[in-house]
Amino acid sequence: MRDQGKFFNFLEVIKRTESGERIKETDYDKELGKKTLALTKQYEIRYDPNLLIPTNDGMVDRIFQAAVDLFLDLGVYCTDTQRVIRFTQEELQWALENVPQEVQYGREKETVSVYPRKVEDRRDPACFFSAVGTPVTEEMFLSVAQSYAQEPLADTFSGPLIISYKGMPVTSGSPIEVEAAIWNTQMLREAAKQAGRPHIGIHNFQSTGEKTDATIASAQEKFGAFPGDGLLVAAIAEMKVDFERLKKVAFLRQSPYVLGALYGPLMGGYAGGPEGTAIALVAHHFLGLLVFSAERHNSFPIHIHHVCNTSRDMLWLISVVGQALARNSHLIFASNAFMASGPCTDMVIDELCAQSIASTVSGWHLNPAAVAKNRHPMRCSGMEPRIHAEVGHQVAKVGLTRKEANRIVLRLVEGYEKRIPEAPIGKMFDECYQLDKIRPTDEYESLLAMKKKEWKSLGFEVI
Amino acid sequence: MDLFKKMAEAVIEGDEERTVSLAKEALSKGVNPTEAIEKGFAEGMKEIGRLFETLEIYLPQVIVSADAMTAGVEVFRQYLLGQEGELPKTTVLLGTIEGDVHDIGKNIVKIMLESNGFKVYDLGRDVPVFNFIEKVKELSPDIVGVSALMTTTMVYMPKLIEALKEEGLRGKVKVMVGGAPVLPKWAKEIGADGYGESAMEAVRVAKSLVGLQGEGKGD
Repeated sequence: MRDQGKFFNFLEVIKRTESGERIKETDYDKELGKKTLALTKQYEIRYDPNLLIPTNDGMVDRIFQAAVDLFLDLGVYCTDTQRVIRFTQEELQWALENVPQEVQYGREKETVSVYPRKVEDRRDPACFFSAVGTPVTEEMFLSVAQSYAQEPLADTFSGPLIISYKGMPVTSGSPIEVEAAIWNTQMLREAAKQAGRPHIGIHNFQSTGEKTDATIASAQEKFGAFPGDGLLVAAIAEMKVDFERLKKVAFLRQSPYVLGALYGPLMGGYAGGPEGTAIALVAHHFLGLLVFSAERHNSFPIHIHHVCNTSRDMLWLISVVGQALARNSHLIFASNAFMASGPCTDMVIDELCAQSIASTVSGWHLNPAAVAKNRHPMRCSGMEPRIHAEVGHQVAKVGLTRKEANRIVLRLVEGYEKRIPEAPIGKMFDECYQLDKIRPTDEYESLLAMKKKEWKSLGFEVI
Repeated sequence: MDLFKKMAEAVIEGDEERTVSLAKEALSKGVNPTEAIEKGFAEGMKEIGRLFETLEIYLPQVIVSADAMTAGVEVFRQYLLGQEGELPKTTVLLGTIEGDVHDIGKNIVKIMLESNGFKVYDLGRDVPVFNFIEKVKELSPDIVGVSALMTTTMVYMPKLIEALKEEGLRGKVKVMVGGAPVLPKWAKEIGADGYGESAMEAVRVAKSLVGLQGEGKGD
């Protein structure tokens, strides 16, 4: 159970949404771009497309300091009140010193403790297997969810979402959203049972219901949401919150569920290029800590045009942000893998490998994986997080260095980067899984085996 | 240097003072405002759009350039108001659909449309279907552009198209849709007239829908 004394006073946050400086949202957006550009120059932060996993500790420490400056100077924007919530340096420092350094998911034999990781950490990353809300049919939801829950390396799991329920479209804010949300939680727990892991933690037990009332309606033990499960609350990129998110926080703080924060800044968007977006992403973690009282953090920075985080610039961004946080805080943070290509393609396997290496060696836990740019219905399966997690475990096991990781990741990126804009969307779940056994098809298994041989020739062996 | 070229460069550099002074210079030389905008400022913004598509520049630079262009265009607009004239404008009613607060894509589309000579009425985010309808009645736009980032909100898009039909407005306005979960096939299925994968494509489609130059995935 969370120790409220370790978090910034939430009522004070609410007060500041009403008392902070009022500014136009467009002016706030412009300020963000100006400040990240100025900080990039001031702290001499430079993206190098040939050094995706930098070993320059000084630079990643400067990114952390730039994020502190950005957070204190810019503040967090509340869109409902059009006011800026600001914090003092002392308040941020206090929050960082009091960060909870352990989060527990699951129950009984499935209880897992998650701790902060360090750069080049030899300890395994926690692996939060997730379908990242990929749309699937109601009929296939259970099978898809089971494909994640049953994976041995899954420390926790979460599910896809449905866009229609009993023949009716699931519409935001409508009664059907509440009905579908409850069904969603019930089905996730059912998937855990069918996977033979009834007590596994569900780190985000609600994907279908987005509104706060639907989320809270589904948060009951009788529907399958138990202490040791969790929910993620997303900031509105970039550096913004609203009352809808804060209502979820108000509920979760008093609940037995793990409160995770979720950030998805767009590289190329309001914060600028890879350097500015890296600064902003670190600053989002301060938002999560102080505004959301988050116990853990989850990031899915994505390329504004390609909607993935496996391009060169995105892998650099992921690496430096991970290193900045790991070296300068005790936060528990996970890297949400966003692939350009879809299931059962050679490209997705290489993308997963590159993203996992860059994340794991840089101090992240792993939250795989959105595939096919997270937008094509039915294109997701438990196989993608399996690949990502296997690679992550191997990186920790062999003690891969950043220098060696950089060499391998560069080789992988060179192989797929030209295909990112028109990446293959791959196969649907029922085309790449045997539905009677909920197992990947022989084709998918063979493809992975072939890729592992290729990686071995790169000097990286995943058994 | 050619005046139009200077105007384009001022936009690319995001130099607001210069776009204003060049607009005044164009007027003093008797240049037609519409021609000056199209061959000068808009050409600069077209280059900015290209650079943004290839991510040689990022959104903050796009915004600075768009602001510079707006300041220059304002000089022409004020002049024409004094002459009781008006710049020709195709109008777009833009908004992120009900329940959805994710509007960065819509904001970029707005910048690009305005930079290409469209008059944009931005309804913001989380816009109920019936607000769109009321505004269509009030403003008679040429195009309604709707964005969504979530599957639970994109389902309001067909509701909007149905509501336009019920109100007898569907034949009077083109509908464009976009956003991460919106796929071209789905856009076609719900009866949208156009779909934009990116902001620049949205501009091309919008132009094609109203018979201006440009092409894209409009039906």
